[in-house]
Amino acid sequence: MARSERWTPYLFLLPAMVLLLFWRLVPLAAGLRESFYGNALNLTTGREWVGLDNFRYLFDDPTFWKSIRVTFLFNAIVNPLQVALAVLLALVANQKVRGIAFFRTILLLPVAISINIATLAWGIALDTNYGLVNGILEAVGLERQPFLRSADQAMPTMVAIVSWIGVPFWMLFILAGLQSIPGDLIEAARIDGATRVKAFFGITLPLLRRVILFVLVADTVINFTLFAPPYLLTRGGPSQTTNLMMYDAWKRGFVYGDLGSSAAMVTILLGMLCLVLLFQFAFLRPKH
Amino acid sequence: MDIRQETSAQTQASTTAGLPVAGPRAEQRARSGWASLSRIGRHVAIYGVLIVIAILVLAPLEWVAASSFTTRETVWKHVLPFSWRAFLPDHFTLDGYRQIFEAGYGRTMANTFVLGTVTVVLSLTVGSLAGFTFARFEFRGKRFLWAVTLISFMVPYEATVIPAYTLVNDLGWINSWQALIVPAIANGTVIFLFRQFFAEIPQDLIDAGRVDGATWPRILAGIVLPLTRPVIITSAIIIFLSQWNSFFWPQLVAPDAKYRVVQVAVNILGVEQQTSYWDRLFAATTIAALVPLVLVIPLQRYYVSSIVSSGIKG
Repeated sequence: MARSERWTPYLFLLPAMVLLLFWRLVPLAAGLRESFYGNALNLTTGREWVGLDNFRYLFDDPTFWKSIRVTFLFNAIVNPLQVALAVLLALVANQKVRGIAFFRTILLLPVAISINIATLAWGIALDTNYGLVNGILEAVGLERQPFLRSADQAMPTMVAIVSWIGVPFWMLFILAGLQSIPGDLIEAARIDGATRVKAFFGITLPLLRRVILFVLVADTVINFTLFAPPYLLTRGGPSQTTNLMMYDAWKRGFVYGDLGSSAAMVTILLGMLCLVLLFQFAFLRPKH
Repeated sequence: MDIRQETSAQTQASTTAGLPVAGPRAEQRARSGWASLSRIGRHVAIYGVLIVIAILVLAPLEWVAASSFTTRETVWKHVLPFSWRAFLPDHFTLDGYRQIFEAGYGRTMANTFVLGTVTVVLSLTVGSLAGFTFARFEFRGKRFLWAVTLISFMVPYEATVIPAYTLVNDLGWINSWQALIVPAIANGTVIFLFRQFFAEIPQDLIDAGRVDGATWPRILAGIVLPLTRPVIITSAIIIFLSQWNSFFWPQLVAPDAKYRVVQVAVNILGVEQQTSYWDRLFAATTIAALVPLVLVIPLQRYYVSSIVSSGIKG
């Protein structure tokens, strides 16, 4: 019995490990490997090793640099914005007033529906010619806006749409963090004469640090590799202003059939993401 | 410092600051003029913010739902120029729904339900076994395998889509159910949730089963699983919703109409038939959004805990 028992844990883990390996880690490794291979298919030797050619090709391509700039700009805006708004929203949702449970339920709606539906609905609502938002703007005497069809407004509009989904989602984590802070602690500070604002910055925020760091990191991972909004709404345009790297990589691979530079782009994206995450950990990790 | 001194210090602080301070004595102070006014003001401000946020969340969804019951010709009537009637069906009709169901939306929904349910069953089986093992066994390589699980769980899904597609292609699985099901079975979050859960079950309960000579599968099925209702509901919601809501993967690996799922159908209506068939698009969108809401709202306690625990502890 003891002999067969020794293999029990491995047997139990086998299906999960094989599937994770096959569908998560192997594709990851294959993608990294692909960055060093060309597109031409040689029947005897398979794909040809091209060293850093794919990377050199990208570095000479202005579209690539534009895409990097757009990705960084988008992330520099969307991540701090979403974290800050999620904290504010959590403070509101944590108020002990009548009907707050109903309000929290409403906040779950953008979280539960698909990003597909959310972007589609907002895409129609923000349409330049027949959109609901422009109808409302005109009704209150303001001018119509092009939103996603203008090079100036496409990126901010995308930030807004993505935040409509993201802020209530990340709020859930911050709210859980808030609720785990003992009420006595804040009460004590208030008795000592601290104002609400002071108690928030002096006690609540430092205690939320761990949760906020988690939210920032997880949000950064999602937004660095964001794909659906440009794919569904703008196709990277206008003038490549929403040409996020993940979308550009997909377009290179699937539209232009350039799998090598597509994989190289994903490799660069993951490398940059790792650096950004290290940076976030180094500066924001609670010090104890 | 005794309580009386504390109270007097508090009174002093609030007088010198000139601001009312809420606290254990808030109710008492609320009876006097300014304090009660500021309490009312606070409530007005809170409800003001709540209402504005609720409108921002609900308006686009409500508009889509209302438009799905409106005829194709009048769908933009109250949008430009705008009137509040845009949020109500104009000339109530079920025509959009009738058309999409005639075009096979019922089949599409059934596809997605079956796909979701099968994935849930497989994913819970695989995930509960793995979670149980990580929580309850000591064995060589445990830390390494746990690290593998965590890494695979943190790799952004988007970054592996193209190579995963190549893999499906090499296996000859393009346009097949297994292309939609197999990659979704092993889910890091589910393994994680089961591990957390099993780690908290008292060891005595399991020892009792061992003493009685029960085998591991019997212990799992007979003793442990009956306690697992919350973690099963939670994991089932995660998996079912991820299948119901996924659009890019099915579009990529199973484009054939036979394998059409809800989100893909919505996208096709949205992209290809946008300009003329608004009623169909709005009807399909409403159904696609409604199913997750019907599932999540009654089970929100489980849903929220699933989201939060997968993150904070991880």
